[in-house]
Amino acid sequence: MWRKFLILSVVLVISIFSFAAVKNPDTVIVATIGEADTLDPHFAYDTASGEVLFNTYDCLIQYKGESIKEFEPRISTAVPSVENGLIKDDGKTYVFPIRKGVKFHNGNDLTPEDVEYSFERGILFDPAGGPMWMIIEALFGEYTWEDVVMNHVKLRTGKDMAYSDLFAENGEPKPEYAKYLMEAYRDILDPAIEVEGDNVVFHLVRPFAPILYILAQGSSWSSILDKETCIEKGLWDGKADTWWKYHDLPKEESPLYAFENGSGPFKLVEWNREQQKVILERFDDYWNGPAKIKRAIIWGIDEFSTRKAMLEKGDVDVCYVPAQYLSQVEGMPGVTVKKGLPTVSITSLHFNWTVAEGSEYIGSGKLDGNGVPRDFFTDINVRKAFVHAFNYDAFIEDVLNGMGERVPSDLPTGFLGYNPDLPLYKFDLKAAKAALQQAWNGEVWTKGFKMSLLYNTGNEARQTAAEMLKYYIESLNPKFKIEVQGVQWPNYLSAYKRGLLPAFIIGWLADYPDPHNFIFTYYHSQGVYGGPQGEAYKEWARENLDALIEQAVQEIDPAKRQALYEEIQKIAIENYIGMPLYQPLAIRVQRDWLKGWYRNPMRPGEDFYAYWKEE
Amino acid sequence: MIAYIIRRLLLLPLILFGVTILIFGMLELLGPEKLVSAYIRGPEAEKVAGATQKIIEKYGLDKPLPVKYERWLGNVLKGDLGWSLVGKQPVLSAILSRFPYTLELALWAIIPVVFVGIWLGIISAVHHNKFLDHFLRVFAIIGWSFPDFVFGLFMILIFYTQLGWFPPGYLSFDMERVVTSSQFVNYTKMVTIDSILNLRFDVFLDALRHLIAPVITLAYLWWAYILRITRSSMLEVLRKEYIRTARAKGLSEDVVINKHARRNALIPVATVSGQMIIALLAGTVIIESVFNRPGLGRFVAMAATQLDYMSIIGGALFYSILLVLGNLIVDVSYALIDPRIRLQ
Repeated sequence: MWRKFLILSVVLVISIFSFAAVKNPDTVIVATIGEADTLDPHFAYDTASGEVLFNTYDCLIQYKGESIKEFEPRISTAVPSVENGLIKDDGKTYVFPIRKGVKFHNGNDLTPEDVEYSFERGILFDPAGGPMWMIIEALFGEYTWEDVVMNHVKLRTGKDMAYSDLFAENGEPKPEYAKYLMEAYRDILDPAIEVEGDNVVFHLVRPFAPILYILAQGSSWSSILDKETCIEKGLWDGKADTWWKYHDLPKEESPLYAFENGSGPFKLVEWNREQQKVILERFDDYWNGPAKIKRAIIWGIDEFSTRKAMLEKGDVDVCYVPAQYLSQVEGMPGVTVKKGLPTVSITSLHFNWTVAEGSEYIGSGKLDGNGVPRDFFTDINVRKAFVHAFNYDAFIEDVLNGMGERVPSDLPTGFLGYNPDLPLYKFDLKAAKAALQQAWNGEVWTKGFKMSLLYNTGNEARQTAAEMLKYYIESLNPKFKIEVQGVQWPNYLSAYKRGLLPAFIIGWLADYPDPHNFIFTYYHSQGVYGGPQGEAYKEWARENLDALIEQAVQEIDPAKRQALYEEIQKIAIENYIGMPLYQPLAIRVQRDWLKGWYRNPMRPGEDFYAYWKEE
Repeated sequence: MIAYIIRRLLLLPLILFGVTILIFGMLELLGPEKLVSAYIRGPEAEKVAGATQKIIEKYGLDKPLPVKYERWLGNVLKGDLGWSLVGKQPVLSAILSRFPYTLELALWAIIPVVFVGIWLGIISAVHHNKFLDHFLRVFAIIGWSFPDFVFGLFMILIFYTQLGWFPPGYLSFDMERVVTSSQFVNYTKMVTIDSILNLRFDVFLDALRHLIAPVITLAYLWWAYILRITRSSMLEVLRKEYIRTARAKGLSEDVVINKHARRNALIPVATVSGQMIIALLAGTVIIESVFNRPGLGRFVAMAATQLDYMSIIGGALFYSILLVLGNLIVDVSYALIDPRIRLQ
């Protein structure tokens, strides 16, 4: 008898357990890796944070659907153009008419003053390593608010000082400088962004073509905040004589760290840090009508096999799949896989023309067969040889499994200035050999050399690229030695920052889809990758490229800009400045029942507003 | 005994000082350029030249060790363990908010590990060198040598993908909404206990359903350990003279095993179990990751890989306290169980 009872109860328990979770038709669940870094739009600078902000805030204009070149109005009722008269003064003034009837999540009305406040707060806050440099560059031609302030101080006092010199021990400004700090806001920032009736007007110090791309927000920096709530919460109070207290605060001290009161289509319900889960709920008063789904969940699930199992069971709708596991989800019933999606990123190898002293990666530091001199790569023949000693197509086909595209320079396809007719570097060992025979008056060939190529461990693509290059270069002459060394990412970062690496493989993800974002970064002497290419490179760039790059960014006529960027790329290609390895292609894995998805490579993540679910 | 406990507790601050100095020293060897990597995501993250240097200065990463340590210690004495970049919240709350999850899993895992483990160990000893003994030992040793992530994935494959019984995670979404609602009181932050206190048995069943697979995985991994200790201790006891006396008195085998032998055989098992519980409380990185459960192990592992030094030191501090107190409890209970042992 009891045995029957046991069996019965086991069956009962099993039937309770096998009752599958109801797959909520009004909730979209995204299984991904990592989690948001901060929800302060002026600090957030990663796609995970950007994804949350993108869905909870709104900005003036927005990319139109899949396009990264066309815009559509959002909080601004029109996209400024020369034709509609909203771009004036030869591209130095931009007018945004602000939409009426837009509500923040707490019910407050969005006003032009909120827009003005949002940008001013962001610029004054300008946290180190944050995204605000884009807007500061657009408005003032500098990269940090501190630089803008110090230029002003220099103008008024004639003294060259550091920003920290303006302040006393207690953090308050020294009395003699306080007025300049106030002036910086009153005379420089305040007039740059103004409310005129129902409009917000941006005044630029010089024409800056990419500004609309920046305001159309890849992710967060152009989000519109609610001034009233922000001041209540302890953000900058809007006054000229206090702003420095709110400047460059540590991440955790921002009151917006885990709080939002945006005007976007979704509200933040919970950011569960223990479970790496963000829960969003539909905002019913969204000005453009409420979203179709009620809830969206972004969930960090570290283990791929677990994510995959949940996708298979339909417990998640979208799943992040690393490229090497693609075959595991292809053909899964009820799952859609899309491949070959364009991205706005480039991975390339660049040379250091002046390796920093004390580098352990250049052997003896002399051209004696046991090392390379610090200025090894100033000889164009050396660069030419490296560029030709790489089998680009095989790399993309076999290492990336076809998930990459070749590009002639460090500019992604689909960008203004991109020209498919520009020559791609050829894999040509004969040319490489000939160049190395000439390099350093033939000394390289007779004496040989030795150097190291580093990659950060875990990045298999970079590792294989370095190993391929080693293989081909060493095949040219037994006296050539390249050591491929894997180091932890912090070590890689540190070596690269100090200019110790003779050559480095590095990527760039677009902040905004304008060529300036790539061309300046890689080729300008002040670009972020200008420095690590060494002093000799910077000097060369100042002579050959800087002026052209600055001219191109101020040009408003797209045709003329195109020509300028093509010219810059030609110079870079002819001088073998770097080896553009590939532009990655992305994949998308989701359940069939999720509808409304579209691909826009500038989106930091999901656009939940576009989604609905149906069989 | 009281004096012993006090003496051990007095040692605690000294141990903590030693541990933190050691970790500070090790992290110091990395230098500011490496420590800053916790604050930025990649070389690509530096979009303005010089930004990294500014971050180093802002967070004082280039300050000398004594200055850093003094500042840190000052804050700790005020109850502030710093900010956890990985946990995205203050270190103390990052640890305390994750600990109940770990504790809950550990408590649930201990039940089958200890009871089944001991039971298997006794069966093994009683059937010494017979088939059942060999079978159980092989069965247990397979579990011991199985990589936990492989076994965990097997569990998911069978019980989730195939059968759909035990999903990964902590709670289903519906139940999570119940737990986060204002009507639900979180007394212990351990949902299996809180759900009973709130009389929400649906939540309890749901939590249990999410616990079974990780608990079985943990249990299978630890059975061999308990089994072997119980078995060898039991075999030793069974050879004792008082067992022979008991048998000679004509007592039934059941009484001999259960009354005379088992109690004495369990003394070393108690010690080992105590250490195992401490190990479980430290968090189980793999189990937490594979079954996608929140917990301390995942947090500390992530902090270590990302060089989030505030979290690393905070975690070490917490573990040290756990270890010292845990061992103390084990020692004391050892003395209580076995009157032959006196703590000096």
